[in-house]
Amino acid sequence: MVDGGALPPALAAVDRDGALAEAAANAAAGGSELRRASRPTRRGLIGLGAGAAGLGFAGRARAAAGSTTGSQQDIGILNYALSLEYLQASFYSEAERLHSLHGALADQARIVGGHERAHVSAFQKVLGSQAIKRPTFNFQGVTEDPDGFRRTAVAFEDLAVEAYKYQAPRLQSQAFLAAAIAIHSVEARHAAWIRRLAGVLPAATAFDQPLPPRRVEALVASTHFVVAAPDMASHQAPKFTG
Amino acid sequence: MRRKLGRTLALILTPALGVAGLLALVLHPQAPPARSASQWTGLPPPAASGFVVPAPHELAALRGASRWAPVRSSVLARAAPGPRAHPVAAVSTQTPEGTTNILELLGPARVGRTGLWQRVRLAVLPNGTSAWVPRSALGGSVVLDTHLLVDRAHLHMSLFRDGKRVFSAPIGIGQPQSPTPAGDFYVRNVLSRYRSATYGPIAFGTSARSPTLTDWPAGGYVGIHGTNQPNLIPGRISHGCIRLRNADMLRLAALMPVGTPITVQ
Repeated sequence: MVDGGALPPALAAVDRDGALAEAAANAAAGGSELRRASRPTRRGLIGLGAGAAGLGFAGRARAAAGSTTGSQQDIGILNYALSLEYLQASFYSEAERLHSLHGALADQARIVGGHERAHVSAFQKVLGSQAIKRPTFNFQGVTEDPDGFRRTAVAFEDLAVEAYKYQAPRLQSQAFLAAAIAIHSVEARHAAWIRRLAGVLPAATAFDQPLPPRRVEALVASTHFVVAAPDMASHQAPKFTG
Repeated sequence: MRRKLGRTLALILTPALGVAGLLALVLHPQAPPARSASQWTGLPPPAASGFVVPAPHELAALRGASRWAPVRSSVLARAAPGPRAHPVAAVSTQTPEGTTNILELLGPARVGRTGLWQRVRLAVLPNGTSAWVPRSALGGSVVLDTHLLVDRAHLHMSLFRDGKRVFSAPIGIGQPQSPTPAGDFYVRNVLSRYRSATYGPIAFGTSARSPTLTDWPAGGYVGIHGTNQPNLIPGRISHGCIRLRNADMLRLAALMPVGTPITVQ
């Protein structure tokens, strides 16, 4: 997706601070440079996660891609998928609630949002108490502007397809693999649908490339869509008029 | 008649079935007559799915939905959506209680030459002031379906969720010289575990401000809180705050999220 150092237009649109472009450029140069390039954004994301609900795209991604064995690895991968589903479901839900889209785009958001929320429910159910919590998102107005929504939706759907593609073969349970593939193909349909609405070729290549977690992490971090939850409770004595 | 129709069908179908059978033999000369699909290909049966994805979850239609968003960076709220419009008030990232400042969002964001702008309800005097802030100064928006209605004439409040009443209680409101202001407001924060029996166990801060006690510490904001004088409720007894009996306050706190819009009538 970002191979060769050049970002597709859809990703460039959400790469607000250029971190992804930098990571992509370094990916072409070598893995160690990619790691160095993505370190600041990853650190930022981890910092936010520690202070907030603890999304841990980074931590989950490493667990999924790391050397853990057996069901532990599968749980890591399922939680990693859940964090991506949270991102997508929250994005579509917010757009639908704001009534900022019309026509075919509104239909896409409503139907795909329903799918993403169903994916969230499925992962939460299978993970039970081990499911990570939903983080706090700030989509920074892209859900309120059709152009911004369209570009971001293309990026999110491409991201999901490529992330699933990377993780699915790492699942040790055949049963989880079967479920993951069932979701993966639906994400690919979503990607084709929104690409068509955005005027981008729905199937641009004969073979899709998987996207490793570090690259997913860099992309998500570069958008700054994951934020610390607002603190609206205090133990300070009230000074209201009484 | 029926017999004739049967004969006609037989005349048509018999040769057709014969041709189909012949075609099958030509196309698959060695195909065994009755085997399952997995045996046909020699592949094992598919793995059962580890979990089932349920039917798509449609968003429920909310009656009386409202939105709020936290203030992420200090900003000047302006009379119109644009950086050159007349400034109305400074908006900070924190409330006097040290919590994240939030604003109720009014209507959809508007796309301008300088990006998205959002009309918001401000916690300033005069009560009811609204203005525009750049969307970039705000965090992610939250949608709520709760609404608090304060009825000053009947000294009573009700909380509605998705249009249905889920809570009601008698209240104390401001005395005639320091009335509880009428209008539309929202809940800004919630305070608890403080040491002040006067305010009961829990207090909500609101965006409403006393129009008469303007020199009150921390700006004279109107709160919704418990009391150590429950016998005075219902009544016109406060400096503008809305008081509840402590048991009612605890019930309300369990039902009403921060950001809930308030109508005082």
